Amino acid sequence: MKKYIPYLLCAPAIIYLAIFIGYPLLQAFILAFSKPGYSFTLENFVNVISSRGFKEAFSNTLLISGIVIPLQLSFALTLAIFVNKRFKGYMFLIYIITIPLALSEITAGLMSYSIFSSMGFLNKLLINLNIISTPIYFFGYIYKFRELIVIILSELWRATPLVFVILLAGLQSIDREYMEAAEVDGATSWQKFTKITLPLLKPSLLSALLLRTTFAFQVFGNIWILVGRDIPVLAGEAYYWQTEIRNSNIASTYAIIIATITLIFAFFYIKTLRSSYLES
Amino acid sequence: MKKLLLMFILLAFLLLSSINIGAEKLIFLSTQFNPVAELQYMKENILSEFTKETGITVEFVPASYADFVNRILAEVKAGKVVTNVIAELHGGFDYLVSENAVEDLSGMPKLPKRTFIKTFVDYSKIRGVTAYIPWTQATYVMAVNKEAFKYLPEGLTQDDILRGSIKWTYDALLKWAENLKKAKGTPAFGLPMAPGGLFHRFLHGYIYPSYTGFQAKNFASKEALILWRYLSKLNDFIHPASTTWSNMSEPLLKGEVLLAWDHTARLTSAITTKPNDFIVIPAPIGPKGRGYILVIAGLGIPKNAPNKELGWKLIEYLTRPSTGVLILKGTGFFPVVKEAQKEVTEGGLKILVDGVTRQSSAPLGRPNLIPSLGGFGGEFSNIYRMAYERIVFRKEDPNKVLPELAKRLEEIFKQVNIPMN
Repeated sequence: MKKYIPYLLCAPAIIYLAIFIGYPLLQAFILAFSKPGYSFTLENFVNVISSRGFKEAFSNTLLISGIVIPLQLSFALTLAIFVNKRFKGYMFLIYIITIPLALSEITAGLMSYSIFSSMGFLNKLLINLNIISTPIYFFGYIYKFRELIVIILSELWRATPLVFVILLAGLQSIDREYMEAAEVDGATSWQKFTKITLPLLKPSLLSALLLRTTFAFQVFGNIWILVGRDIPVLAGEAYYWQTEIRNSNIASTYAIIIATITLIFAFFYIKTLRSSYLES
Repeated sequence: MKKLLLMFILLAFLLLSSINIGAEKLIFLSTQFNPVAELQYMKENILSEFTKETGITVEFVPASYADFVNRILAEVKAGKVVTNVIAELHGGFDYLVSENAVEDLSGMPKLPKRTFIKTFVDYSKIRGVTAYIPWTQATYVMAVNKEAFKYLPEGLTQDDILRGSIKWTYDALLKWAENLKKAKGTPAFGLPMAPGGLFHRFLHGYIYPSYTGFQAKNFASKEALILWRYLSKLNDFIHPASTTWSNMSEPLLKGEVLLAWDHTARLTSAITTKPNDFIVIPAPIGPKGRGYILVIAGLGIPKNAPNKELGWKLIEYLTRPSTGVLILKGTGFFPVVKEAQKEVTEGGLKILVDGVTRQSSAPLGRPNLIPSLGGFGGEFSNIYRMAYERIVFRKEDPNKVLPELAKRLEEIFKQVNIPMN
């Protein structure tokens, strides 16, 4: 009996995963590799990958991730190092920085929209201060570049706290004795940062990067609320094909592509950033 | 103590069973009123009243268009029909008639104290079968902030627009939108172009029939080229954020636009919030008339459904003028019985009812029903949106884009086996 106990303890989690993750995943695979009248086909993938919609969505997703993730990482790292100094009132600052964690993507999108829309807070402020006479448009197909800036700002504000929390936890777990030893040896602040903090922070950085990249490829709600399909992204296309065009096969194909890209990135991160000396 | 507990359980059992005894239940499958707010309104304000009156409980089952057809056909073909009453758009009933899956309602008892609008009664008779009883109607109209009337183009009066006179044309709309942009410094005409918005209905149901005479048949014709040249010009006066709006109520209320086109249900909130600011006007006319969409939802009974008399009771209740007014208040879908229209006497709803009546009674009307394309409906809509994106936004040559998209459009109609119109 004893040897079954571990399996029994794991069973609820495994059953949960099998029903709510495994089964839908299997269904998505079946849908992506089939179409009405065909049991197995690669046509969905050929059609999706060769379509202009996919190319645009793919490059937009990469562009947004490529800009947002490094910025988030550097902001979060700077903030975490700053807060880790534990000056008076640092806890209060942590609360302020982490507020957006409690917001859903949709709420963040709606808040950004009310700031940047043509009748939004920003335009009203600028008009009241007599800086501009007609509103500046941030949204619309013809203002894609401005839309991109709003998306980046909104994403930075919304998701930086997640990276911040992970990195702060990592920083707090670094033993102060290392720093004291380095100080005794006469290391400069830069040397302490590059030789002690960064290497010991690698596991946290890896988790933060993994999480953020995964989320970045799924980014959708915020963008959907702000700009609709003016700037298509991969997850948005999956949603569009499912809810508007009602083609579950193509929608699942997008979902499988997103999963594959995310897996490739995760594999790459784990390979390059793993702190093998910590594991050994 | 034990005895007391036993007695209590027995009493509770008796009480519960007495509630169930005699309680009859109907299953009401509907493709209409599925959004959460509408669904809740239907259950709490409409169907609960029916239960109070008759003691019959109604299980309201919302279904997507595809699920609806699959379920009814499966039930009818298996000979195990459990659904008592169905609510669907005209196109869905058309399909069910071709599959012999709905009862002919012509032999049912007369529905007293209501006069159905004749157009709808005519539509409900499909190939000799009275497939449904008209229930609600909806359409798409233009809502105007009264301030916009100050900037009407020369020679066009407010009265011309309200009456839908022949002066109220798409060219006049262009000029008006241009005037609004000049006066306001920013475009003030808005369309729900975001995904989730119904802009494609404007393209295939309004402007296409107005310019080409048909929704899809003349998609790449000479007339269509003129239409696309027009749209490219009009786009300069359309609020740029339109591509991010799926519902025009909010931009109207915020004053971002003074003139907007949308589904009546999606304009209700703006008009009922500020009934003194807005007015509803008919769609303009083009070279081939005034294209507009008529959405008719009806109530029917699946073939060989159980308890037909009870189902008919529900249909009788749902098509009463008073129920029609209740539905209008909660959802923005209009009654189809004349008595109900008379009951709406003031406020935002009156403005909407008047606007809808103006549109349907304006001269040169070309009403269209949304083609019933089943699972291809989304792709059909996307073709029109894609044409707009490629020709107007990306400035691609319509001579190249239109024939390319027309080919797919033809394939869709062929696959569903309905004539292009």
